Amino acid sequence: MRQDHSTGRRPPTRRTTLTLPADSLRELEQIARRRKVNLSTVVAEAVTEAAQEHRARRRTSEFLESYRNAFAGFSAEELMILDGIILESPAKR
Amino acid sequence: MLDALLGPYLFDTSAEGWFKRNESEASRAWLRSYLARHPMHFSGVTVFERARGYALLWRQARLERRDQIEAARMAYLVDPGRVWPVDAGISVIAAEITALLPQPPTAPRRTHRMVESRQDRLVRWRFDAMIAATALATDMLLVHNNAADFESIRSAIERAPGRFPSLGPLRLTRCGSIV
Repeated sequence: MRQDHSTGRRPPTRRTTLTLPADSLRELEQIARRRKVNLSTVVAEAVTEAAQEHRARRRTSEFLESYRNAFAGFSAEELMILDGIILESPAKR
Repeated sequence: MLDALLGPYLFDTSAEGWFKRNESEASRAWLRSYLARHPMHFSGVTVFERARGYALLWRQARLERRDQIEAARMAYLVDPGRVWPVDAGISVIAAEITALLPQPPTAPRRTHRMVESRQDRLVRWRFDAMIAATALATDMLLVHNNAADFESIRSAIERAPGRFPSLGPLRLTRCGSIV
């Protein structure tokens, strides 16, 4: 189980019952045997990584969505102005 | 290729512009990997440049288009990322950079019917110096899409290390090389 390095304590855990695909479970058991750790450790790491990946996907899609909303409907010249390049017609100068 | 996990990185205004134009699967995958570990870091100067852009477009727009521009501005401001203020330290570093390089290294930008004035080019150059100074002060690699300006700053800092004690080098990566 991972430790919180700032406090040296393990994060709190909770018991639960999961139904997992048999193939995946066998693979996780093999990993646990090879690494000489218990199955809970391997499952916890896999779940943590999956949650992190899920968060990343959500943040990416939120980020791209806000980009689309913030920059959609502008011409190339208008996008340059939004990038800090202030353009004007030579006649105005 | 830039390792997304080794961040956080500071993103120049030009880099943000590159990401909004480049929605390839490779750039999305890189962003996904980066955002799994780190927020996007920006200088307050980038927020200023964008907000000024929205304000100028709003003022120039016909009445019926102003709502769209305001909605876009609000969408941008919902989450502008982790924004670094230009504090005293960053101001001092930026001042050294602009003293070393008072003039921009390239000419004003132009399109087939619009031009950037010399004054605005100079202002943009000074903003680049502030963004480079933010990268130096925070010891973050600067992701950019503006090689001419930032490579000039990097070279100048390397030629005058005594003016930037315990800082640098300015670490740069161009957007095109991250994926």
